[in-house]
Amino acid sequence: MGNTLIDGLKERVSQAITINKSVGVILPSSNYSDMLQALFEHMSSRNDHFWVYVAIAKPYENIVKQFDYASQMTNIRFIDCVSRAAGLTNKDPNCIYIESPSYLEKIIVEIMNIFKEVGDQLQKTLVIDSLTSLLIYNDDALVTEFFTHLINRTRLKDIHTFSLAIEEEMDDYINKILYLRSNKIIKLRESFI
Amino acid sequence: MTDSESYMYNQNEIKVDENEISLDNCPCITGIEELDQKLGGGLPSGNTVLLVGSSGSGKTTLSMQFLTNGAKNGERGVFFTITEPLFKLTKNLERFDFYDKKMIESGMVNLIDLRIISERLGLDAEKYTVEDASALLEILKDIADELDVKRLVIDSVTALCYRLQTKEMIRDFIFKLGSSLASMNCTTILTSEVPPNELKYSHYGIEEFIADGIIFLGDVDRKGDLIRTLQVIKMRGTYHSRTKSAMSISSKNGIELTPLLKSRV
Repeated sequence: MGNTLIDGLKERVSQAITINKSVGVILPSSNYSDMLQALFEHMSSRNDHFWVYVAIAKPYENIVKQFDYASQMTNIRFIDCVSRAAGLTNKDPNCIYIESPSYLEKIIVEIMNIFKEVGDQLQKTLVIDSLTSLLIYNDDALVTEFFTHLINRTRLKDIHTFSLAIEEEMDDYINKILYLRSNKIIKLRESFI
Repeated sequence: MTDSESYMYNQNEIKVDENEISLDNCPCITGIEELDQKLGGGLPSGNTVLLVGSSGSGKTTLSMQFLTNGAKNGERGVFFTITEPLFKLTKNLERFDFYDKKMIESGMVNLIDLRIISERLGLDAEKYTVEDASALLEILKDIADELDVKRLVIDSVTALCYRLQTKEMIRDFIFKLGSSLASMNCTTILTSEVPPNELKYSHYGIEEFIADGIIFLGDVDRKGDLIRTLQVIKMRGTYHSRTKSAMSISSKNGIELTPLLKSRV
């Protein structure tokens, strides 16, 4: 049963990312782990992509503990926005640590810097995990502005985006901007299981 | 005459023989991509720019990036410091990828401690007389001429003026400095120290009058976190952006700018 769920999610992720420039995923927190598993399995299977994964919902270290193969992947770089703010001082060459999730401009700079060094033969894809987690550290209007800037800049550079939003953390601002800026919205329901 | 009037800039006080100056029209590229874009290519060649900011705002880093980028393009530069010893300056620079020790060794970037020069001239390190300040200015100009520098930095004009005893002396010195710089064939950055969170461009309220341009480095408080900002206030000879940018400093790329997010800042 579990595999069917993950396979189903992988299929939806794969289709959405391939066809659309910017994908927004609204999911209940109970399906968050399933979505991450499907996403990482998809990422590890696509060597023709280069991924930048922005970790806001949880630290990079937690992610690689859960998906240990992710630290071995050569086509993914992480940007960890929460470890430093939580007082964690660990280092990893595959991860850029942002001092605070409120340094939104710095997050944009680091994303663009990483993609600048990636060759055109790879499809560039950005994963934001998650947009709603930024609301814990920033005002909703600021997160909306951040997301608008980010989507504008990534579109110009032919970078695909895959933005997660946790349903329980959503507010009207984020809901509106996610719908406005995404070409495709995937809305997961618990009933999907 | 009021205080502010007595500090007004008098154009006639700066005498420049325009025949002696042959500056090309190419902008002086700082090497900070986004800043050059804001300025329409770079600092206008031959301009004197006041780089204003509080402690830790990135004035020295920006100045050094400006000099090292010049050196990479064959333009010799000189950095006059009066605020920190050279060994400390170079130690801080070593963490930046834009810094190359060879630039110093080859003489493309020259670092000069003005306090050592003062000492050699037998000047009181803490207090300058009008004559002392004039002698120092002469030396400064001679060094720049002799090295044939195209880029010059004084870090900081505030600390230099601090050694002068009266407002009149400071005023006189700043206008002489402006006159000297205007007659040199180089683009200059004068750093200016101001207290944090104050929208003023100089400590003495007069330094900005000899500057062709002002770049302001500030901070924005976002939920207790300070975000560095950069704004070009004025730049004669360019159509420049006046928007505020967020500024970040990293060892790999030095200074980088990106539009500041403004919602509810």
